[in-house]
Amino acid sequence: MPRIGVFVCQCGNNIAATVDTKKVAEEMGKLPGVVYTCDYKFMCSSPGQEMLRQAIKENKLDGIIVSACSPHMHEKTFRKAAEGAGLNPYQCEITNIREQCSWVHHDKTKAAGTVKSIDLTRMTIQRLKKNQPLKKIKIPVKKKAMVIGGGIAGIQAALDIAEGGREVILVEKEPSIGGNMARLSETFPTMDCSQCILTPKMVEAELNENITLYTYSEVEKVDGYIGNFTVTVRRKSKYVDEERCTGCGECIEKCPFKVDSQFELGLNKRKVIYTPFPQSVPNVPVIDAPNCTKIQKDKCGACAIVCGPKCIDFKMEDKLVTEEVGAIVVATGYQNMPNERFGEYGYGRIKDVISGMQFERLASSSGPTGGEIRRPSDGKIPQSVVFIQCVGSRDEKKGVSYCSKICCMYTAKHTKLYSHKVHGGQSYVFYMDIRSGGKRYEEFVRGAIEHEGAMYLRGRVSRVYEKNGKIMVQGADTLSGNQVEIEADMVVLATAVVSRDGADTLAQRLGIGYDKYKFYNEYHPKLKPVETVTAGIYLAGTCMGPMDIPESVAQGSAAASKVLALFSADEMAREPITSVVNRTTCNACWDCVTACPYTAIEREAIKDRQGNVVRWVAKVNDGVCQGCGVCVAACRSKSIDLKGYTDEQVFAAINAF
Amino acid sequence: MEKTLRLKAKELLESGEVKVVIGYGWNRSKTRTTPVFITDPADVDTLVWNPLCVNNLSLYLTRKYKEIKALGRPAIVAKGCDIRNIVVLITEGQFKREDVFIIGMTCNGTVYKQDLWKGELTPNIMPTKCHNCDVRNPHVTDFVVGEKSTFTPPEVPTGMVYDKVKDLDSKSQSERWAFWVKEFSRCVKCYACRQVCPLCYCERCITEKNMPQWIETSAHPRGNLSWNLTRAMHLVGRCTFCGECERSCPVNIPLNLINQKMIGVVKEAFDFKSGYDEKTHPPMIVFSPDDKENFIK
Repeated sequence: MPRIGVFVCQCGNNIAATVDTKKVAEEMGKLPGVVYTCDYKFMCSSPGQEMLRQAIKENKLDGIIVSACSPHMHEKTFRKAAEGAGLNPYQCEITNIREQCSWVHHDKTKAAGTVKSIDLTRMTIQRLKKNQPLKKIKIPVKKKAMVIGGGIAGIQAALDIAEGGREVILVEKEPSIGGNMARLSETFPTMDCSQCILTPKMVEAELNENITLYTYSEVEKVDGYIGNFTVTVRRKSKYVDEERCTGCGECIEKCPFKVDSQFELGLNKRKVIYTPFPQSVPNVPVIDAPNCTKIQKDKCGACAIVCGPKCIDFKMEDKLVTEEVGAIVVATGYQNMPNERFGEYGYGRIKDVISGMQFERLASSSGPTGGEIRRPSDGKIPQSVVFIQCVGSRDEKKGVSYCSKICCMYTAKHTKLYSHKVHGGQSYVFYMDIRSGGKRYEEFVRGAIEHEGAMYLRGRVSRVYEKNGKIMVQGADTLSGNQVEIEADMVVLATAVVSRDGADTLAQRLGIGYDKYKFYNEYHPKLKPVETVTAGIYLAGTCMGPMDIPESVAQGSAAASKVLALFSADEMAREPITSVVNRTTCNACWDCVTACPYTAIEREAIKDRQGNVVRWVAKVNDGVCQGCGVCVAACRSKSIDLKGYTDEQVFAAINAF
Repeated sequence: MEKTLRLKAKELLESGEVKVVIGYGWNRSKTRTTPVFITDPADVDTLVWNPLCVNNLSLYLTRKYKEIKALGRPAIVAKGCDIRNIVVLITEGQFKREDVFIIGMTCNGTVYKQDLWKGELTPNIMPTKCHNCDVRNPHVTDFVVGEKSTFTPPEVPTGMVYDKVKDLDSKSQSERWAFWVKEFSRCVKCYACRQVCPLCYCERCITEKNMPQWIETSAHPRGNLSWNLTRAMHLVGRCTFCGECERSCPVNIPLNLINQKMIGVVKEAFDFKSGYDEKTHPPMIVFSPDDKENFIK
């Protein structure tokens, strides 16, 4: 006969107002197997927990039930207390008589609430009788991390993990780390130069002994689980030996071919052998193979001739590298929505309609104009510039429904930069609302409007067209109620922040979720903002949604702290609520494999002594399984059970109802 | 057709490419066809092909028939509709495509029940599936027997089953409930529907799990309801509407109705029809971040 104790909590008046806790305790005492019952004001308090421990010891209880609040609140507390009294923690079960009972009943006579509490507790008692003692799962942890994406969030995460004394591999798709931040001119709200604050971090990442940089590389495959990931990285061929290259730049000098520079967003040309920007890290050029005549047609080869250390190899091929890591930080960043979608603003049709990011390049001292604001068509200094906000953002029909969050701030910054660089120039801003929440952000925008002379017009632009060499911008000023037409020399579009192309493919490789905009999903939007549903994979920066530099950096550090906490022990203890397969009845239909959101189920071959495969069965990897129970529902032959929530337990509970 | 079929079967058995040919043969009085399993090339003349070949033989490829598996690689005589079941079995990892030699039969329809046969195949003795068949030219085969069929199924599926589904859909929830309770109350739990279904291949069916016993085994209305609903649910997104369950039901429960209804639901929700592509797992059981969530209200 089991010896069960039932502890009914009054939760002050939270439960006791509509539930007669004393009666619940008394009724439970009448059930077979229940040897101890009590009710108390606050079971979770220190005296309450002490009472529980005492009762377990004195009555030699082998299972306890606490009828109190949601297990989300105090299941851990009570299981720990039970463990303290020598009980297996999983022999402690919670009945939720607060959220699921007292709070939904308003009957002060306590009739309905009490009856329901008795029912719920009785179900838990029957369930408890079928409980099996469980042990926490221990998983070994490989203390090496991988950061995917070498923008500011990724760099920060890598630096922090390295500072914590752990090895990090920083994987970057482009030839240089730096990401979108490397393109920016100045940064709001302090107006310090983006590259001046970024490049020291880039160099730090390069020099840090704990950080291995894999630039021009992409993640191809991810296997394994928390503490034990195996990641295959494709290191694209640079055609330049990284080890021997001195970064002298002779090859770039000599290369006779020029193509549009992606880094400069088409505002400038670059050579076919190139580094994206002068401060690139690592300072090793790569050859753009599709445009290289040597590689395509075996003509030229000038770069190889001038190269002192002879490190150019036109026959170099992509390499696949396999890395074993314990944790992964995903910081793949964002891109801007293609402006071509907005024909009414003339992008692509009118040369001097540019994107906000292109404006950053124009204003950047390392940009194509050396920091002078000159329009792309004829190089003239524009005397009036119209900035259009919310291009694609907050536009469910043609763009995205969310707010891109950073545009209000950077547009204000653009007007400031413009007024600093072009004295006497007039800037106009068409906006929907100004969203400037953040430390010193509102002051920054007010400064742009009140001190720097930017003309803010609340309304949308309907049409942009060319007339006599000017760009005519027609729009509404909803505050004055007038239609306005502005003659501009240049138009700047604040295009929406969107997820990167291929973000969904990477998410599928990693087994993490994403929303309809292909931004990655955090585990919990408030309380687990850098975790994903897949344990051991963390997020940082704009791959999750629009955010500014301070937020991205904070997230990089947050993700790093999660990684370091994971790496602080050799083994990781996990809740043993995982699925288990009955190998004798498994049909190997693999429904569980396809149903599992965490790719936690593998195919296992059962072999005879000669090594011949006798049959195939499913196998749950305890390290990855999150105990969601989808496989249990998917299994037609009921060959999977969830520990802690076994069929037997659930059936017993239902039967007791 | 029979001649080509027999020659191919002989060739396969003689070369040792397959060890058994699963096909149709006559019963003793030549009134019905029955499954035959030919292992000796001398016996190939037993094989027949005619509109009475209604059985879905893919059943004999499943793990339920270990003794047939033990014979070695099989060749199977299969109509397009049977092949759809073979395809589902392949997607569910029950065997690999190369593990079975499919002799696809071009088909002009079969009789719904063999007793209806009066020597001629007329539309009124064909089951609904044949009137709407898009696999009269078998779609996944190693060898095809028969002239190419030029039949094109009607754009909107027609037939008794579809009409009845529509009729049921138009009724109120309580009327539908009453209808099914009444139909299922006849169930005697003989499990013929399960035994004949090529997709009910579990070695231990959920009804046989007794720790705990989720489904009552006695022919009591409550157990009948849970058995029939569980059976239907386990076939959602997988059932190919081969009709064998209803054909074998001794108390004529209209199982085709419930199966076809679910096929319609899956078609609408996932734009999926089972049994055409051996690489696509039935969608109901696949985790996909792109799944529609419009059912959450």
